[in-house]
Amino acid sequence: MHTHSAEARGAAGARPGRRPSGWFDVRGRHVGTWAFALNRATGLLLVLYLGVHLAVLSLLARGPSAYDAFIALASHPLAILFDLGLAGVLLYHGLNGIRLILLGLGWGLRWQRELFWALMALGAVAWCAAAYGLAVHLL
Amino acid sequence: MAERTLQRETPSTVRTDKALWAWLIQAASGALLVLLAGLHMLAQHFTAKGLLRYEDVVAWLSRPPVFALETAFLAAVLTHALAGVRAILLDLGLGPTAERRLTLALAALGGVAFVYAVALTWSIAH
Repeated sequence: MHTHSAEARGAAGARPGRRPSGWFDVRGRHVGTWAFALNRATGLLLVLYLGVHLAVLSLLARGPSAYDAFIALASHPLAILFDLGLAGVLLYHGLNGIRLILLGLGWGLRWQRELFWALMALGAVAWCAAAYGLAVHLL
Repeated sequence: MAERTLQRETPSTVRTDKALWAWLIQAASGALLVLLAGLHMLAQHFTAKGLLRYEDVVAWLSRPPVFALETAFLAAVLTHALAGVRAILLDLGLGPTAERRLTLALAALGGVAFVYAVALTWSIAH
């Protein structure tokens, strides 16, 4: 288990009880640090979304009228754009998360940069497919 | 053996063990999420066909396999999200006491959110 690698335990190799790691400061850093910081930023966005998602689902308990009002709002073009952004955030976090797990297990350490770009290319294709699907649905 | 036990009890080794467990929980829940999120989306897209009507959502959630899938998805997403928040907050440089309190608080928050969401889904579906 390669938990000693900088990526597995923090962008700047932080340990509990020490000074803040400053993982969000990526100026002049390599692509791996950018990828790690972006993974955390997208993770925080997804935590916020999870709270909103659970709150919205609780509308179901208030009956059909509350749910229908939400569906009308969710069908707005701006909400569709939000969904596309969410798909991008999810794809990035999921695919980069897979890369971090592989690196943490010590697999692919030599080609971690290539692995990153390959997964990002896969994510871009999946995102374009999702955007096309939504466009077809809307038009 | 005695030396090994002593080594295990040093604060830095305890912290390393905790970090390893935290990483394992984060990685396992993340891997499970990739699988469950894929199933969740496939189920929504191909079986549920949009679910835009209230009655359809209620009928959908009342199916036992769907309820089980959604419950597992919720457990995995809460575990992964709260473990991620913990890791980010620990990077602020918290001491051992604050770390223990943070872990307990996040575990309690996760437990409450899980019970609330499962009870809510159950009441809607039945």
